[in-house]
Amino acid sequence: MSTSLSPTPATNPIGDFTADRFNAHLAGIPHSVPAWWIERKRNAYAEFASLPMPARTDETWRFSSREHLSLSGFSSSTAETKAVSPATGIEIEDATARLTFVDGKLSGRTPLSRELASSGVVAGTILEGLTTHSELLRKHFMAQPQKLGSEKFAALHTAFIPDGAFIYVPRNVELKSPIVITHVSTGAGSAVFPHTLVVAEENSRVTVVDVFVTLDESNATRAPESKATLNAFACGANDLYAAHGASINYAAAQLWSDTTLSFQLNSTLVRRDARVQSLNLHLGGSQARHESLSQLQAPGAFSEMLAISLASGNQEFDQRTLQVHQAPNTKSDLLYKNALLDKARTIFSGLIIVDSDAQKTDAYQSNRNLMLSDNADACSLPGLEIQANDVRCTHGSTTSRIDPSQLFYLESRGISPAVARELLVFGFFEEVLNRLENESLHAVLIRLIEHHFRRAWQPPTK
Amino acid sequence: MSSLEIRNLHVAIGEKPIVKGLSLTINPGEVHAIMGPNGTGKSTLAKAIAGHPDYTITQGDVLLGGKSILEQEPDERARAGIFLAFQYPSEIPGVSIANFLRAAVQARMGEGEELDATAYYKRLYQKMDLLKIDRKFTSRSVNEGFSGGEKKRCEILQMAMLEPRFALMDETDSGLDIDALRIVAEGVNTLRGPGLGVMLITHYQRLLEHIVPDFVHVMYDGRIVKSGDKSLALELESRGYDWVKQELAVA
Amino acid sequence: MKTPTDLETEPAVDVAENPALGIDQAAGDFSYDVSYAYDAGVGLNENTVRYISSVKKEAPWILDFRLNALKTFLAKPLPTHWATRDLENVEFDKIRYYLSQGQKPKRTWDEVPDDIKKTFERLGVPEQERKFLAGVEAQFDSEAAYSNIKDIVAKQGVIFLNSTAALREHPEIFRKFFGKVIPTGDNKFSALNSAVFSGGSFIYVPKGVKVAQPLQAYFRINAENFGQFERTLIIADEGSEVTYMEGCTAPKFSTSTLHSAVVELVALKGAKIQYITVQNWAPNVFNLVTKRGVAHEDAEIKWIDCNIGSRLTMKYPGVVLKGRRARGEVISIALANDGQHQDTGAKMIHAADETTSTIISKSISVGQGRATYRGQVHMGKHLKNCKNNTECDALLINTNSRTDTYPAITVRGDTHAVQHEASVSKVNEEQIFYMQQRGLTEAQAMSLAVNGFVNDLVRQFPMEYSVELKRLIDLEMEGSVG
Repeated sequence: MSTSLSPTPATNPIGDFTADRFNAHLAGIPHSVPAWWIERKRNAYAEFASLPMPARTDETWRFSSREHLSLSGFSSSTAETKAVSPATGIEIEDATARLTFVDGKLSGRTPLSRELASSGVVAGTILEGLTTHSELLRKHFMAQPQKLGSEKFAALHTAFIPDGAFIYVPRNVELKSPIVITHVSTGAGSAVFPHTLVVAEENSRVTVVDVFVTLDESNATRAPESKATLNAFACGANDLYAAHGASINYAAAQLWSDTTLSFQLNSTLVRRDARVQSLNLHLGGSQARHESLSQLQAPGAFSEMLAISLASGNQEFDQRTLQVHQAPNTKSDLLYKNALLDKARTIFSGLIIVDSDAQKTDAYQSNRNLMLSDNADACSLPGLEIQANDVRCTHGSTTSRIDPSQLFYLESRGISPAVARELLVFGFFEEVLNRLENESLHAVLIRLIEHHFRRAWQPPTK
Repeated sequence: MSSLEIRNLHVAIGEKPIVKGLSLTINPGEVHAIMGPNGTGKSTLAKAIAGHPDYTITQGDVLLGGKSILEQEPDERARAGIFLAFQYPSEIPGVSIANFLRAAVQARMGEGEELDATAYYKRLYQKMDLLKIDRKFTSRSVNEGFSGGEKKRCEILQMAMLEPRFALMDETDSGLDIDALRIVAEGVNTLRGPGLGVMLITHYQRLLEHIVPDFVHVMYDGRIVKSGDKSLALELESRGYDWVKQELAVA
Repeated sequence: MKTPTDLETEPAVDVAENPALGIDQAAGDFSYDVSYAYDAGVGLNENTVRYISSVKKEAPWILDFRLNALKTFLAKPLPTHWATRDLENVEFDKIRYYLSQGQKPKRTWDEVPDDIKKTFERLGVPEQERKFLAGVEAQFDSEAAYSNIKDIVAKQGVIFLNSTAALREHPEIFRKFFGKVIPTGDNKFSALNSAVFSGGSFIYVPKGVKVAQPLQAYFRINAENFGQFERTLIIADEGSEVTYMEGCTAPKFSTSTLHSAVVELVALKGAKIQYITVQNWAPNVFNLVTKRGVAHEDAEIKWIDCNIGSRLTMKYPGVVLKGRRARGEVISIALANDGQHQDTGAKMIHAADETTSTIISKSISVGQGRATYRGQVHMGKHLKNCKNNTECDALLINTNSRTDTYPAITVRGDTHAVQHEASVSKVNEEQIFYMQQRGLTEAQAMSLAVNGFVNDLVRQFPMEYSVELKRLIDLEMEGSVG
């Protein structure tokens, strides 16, 4: 397929991601990769270049800011790989394995134990997997439909992804502690395409943690008053596949710099009696869009979708979710909580689709917004499309402030208003965090939120 | 000289006056029962002293150790030694009792002072045993899903941990069965002593059988209309509040 | 150019059994051969608009208003990026936009031409009027055939006219509010209505007047391939109160019919307006209606909206809460049977401090019916202490029934409280079994269960309506099981 396209910038801009840049990217790919990988990339680039940017009338972009959706200014070369050991704040004791990618290239790893490796577990890179598990990658890498609005960015991701994490857990293997993957962006001017692909075979069990972090000073400052200083681009994706009876616990901590435009596109596929829990923590980015698709494909499948956003400054967190029940007796449970400070915005748009033969579906969807500023903006679009009658489907959305009676109760015990508010905000998040099974992960995420909250939160002066 | 002194207090909710000129002095070590029919302003009095933002003090003063507390924020009043045991304690999802009490104890310590976690938990568990509260409770969210009795015991637990100078107990007996009432009363009785003054708000004489007051005041239409010793409570029980109303009408 | 209908005149069911206001869907399924003196022909262009305006002898500003609206209508695309593609089946060029026997409604039923009078008698309108109404407006295709208000109400200064007459007789009030709540360009169908509107009610309730009995309008489509575009404007002056009810029916033609109304309500300081609709169009009618009210300080607007008929209804009654402490409420019941799509909902635009709104929506999908709820709740910047509470419950009767819920909630600031809850469920089988065990048929049990589902909302309707609503639900439920 041809890659020499000359699109009109107004409708389908390609920005810095020109055909030349794409060809240079292709030229840098090791010759060992299978032909389908290159073919898929070529198709993806063509798709990227042909698709328009999101338009005002796109329902999947309702309420989203589009004025900063630029594809320009991210042209710096990623040729030079720096050896870094970023202080990410993620210290999970006795991780099963660790992988660190800097601007998409593997820069460090703590391998699996010999025992696990010999049982067939893989905690490696996609480039490695393309040699050892080509068919598996072909089947699962970005294989699910993009339904939530970022088709163009998904195509861009596939076209430019240099490498990523590939986790494979064979039948009946249970990993006790998490595999931790750190995706580092070197910040100013860079464009990164992080990817984590998890395949959990029958009756296996695995916990995977993704950390997204920028390695520059802007990460230590408060969110800027204007989004105009946008200087980094992150376009990531992950694929989670849980086979019959498998269990995946996935957590992601998004700590990009406050000058990053971020996309993160998730696809979760859950087979018979399998369960996937995913928790996404959003703290960084200037404008960060997260799309999450859960497909419940066989009876007994269960997807638990959790998210916490702490939005401050001028941040915009844009979350789009889809729970698709394609088989009877499936279950999904979504809980997305946002706390908003300053002039921050959050958008939650979720849809539960119950197919006509998915009887006995049990689906839940809940979005809770806690307003901590008079200038913050929360949009909520909780949706249902139900075509089977024997179902239990509910959704709820609330937007409110800190409950004054709770505040008074805490104050009446001598706790200062500032501490009381902090306790209540963490109490608000705790309902999500306490769903985590892994204690040390729980503690790490709380520390990250605390760190971010204390940096962003200036209690109102009375 | 460290008494709690209420001077000609007037309290309104919005435009509506509720407490209409109430005066009362509680000295350390004394237990004052405030009785009265529903809607006479008993709870309003307690909440206003604690500094609830919905209540406006339109006239009068409240002094603690001779100093007015009306300019203080609720948390400042609490740290000064005022404890309100709520009639309807708030449920606070996601905030565990352990964390909550820790924050409250920490708030009473000086700048830079660190809480001794071991000593804190030792003391906490000791108080919990006293109040027959299961230790597993510490990891539960404050009051969330608690039964009426559990909520009230949790209030007394906080009181025990925070060691106030004056406790305002708002209908602490409401919603309790006899066993729960006994446990709560025992808890209060163990805390009684020369360092603690108590204002015990109740509708019924029942609680006063377990916590014997030094003084009993009858509140009606926002004022104290009759004061006496514990025998007044018994008289009220047998003759009912109408008796007070009739006396008032005659006067 | 006269195009009388040529349908059979025999009613489908025994009329005597269902005398009420077109509540029984089949009761409206008849039509009479009527000769129209005025007919704008088929299709829509500038001449159609000029014809309508000239027949009505309108002031030049109204014609300009219409012509501008026509331009807007033609320029606007169908909203199919969010709405159903069934809209593409509306054949705008095959519709007749104006049909009437004259522009002056009669004050007594005796004066109303026989065939039209027979229609309304069969629908029970005169009887209802005698029983419990303060005034009635009966529209037959494009114009009101009958219009009357009880003396006692008229003496209080209440104006109740059809919009054609009101434009002539009270231009000063009409023009001040007309098109202000719903601008022409609000959506494609409000633009269409603004271009070709005819009929509908104009109500003005003077300061402090509380109209004790409801005012009622009845909208009847008689002709095939016809479009009805009534325009209603209700102004409740300070401290006044009024309840308005509307019913509607049409015969079941094989071709589609269009009903596209615009209803504007203005509740001035402290006023209360309650607007009740029982929509029971035939299942070939596209019912694309824009309804919105503005509630000023301490005012209250309540929409009670019941959708049972039509092929496709798209209607989202709204309240702009413009004054402090204004209240808005939408109570909505929708029943979607085979071949029907009830796309209904509510809009609450909070534009002042301490405003509160409530939305309660219940829908029932039967057979292959589809019920959609769309909601919008907006609390913009600089506002304090606004509240909204929304509840949407959907009941699915059959395995192939469908329901959708699409709320959009936007809140700025930290002093508001917004709560939205929705649930989807099916009829409780235990309940059905229990009733069957007591000897009820499955259909009877199902009817009872469905009635139970909407019971708390039905009770908000005036008694005369609620009884009929229940009966209608029974009828709709027949044949839905087994």
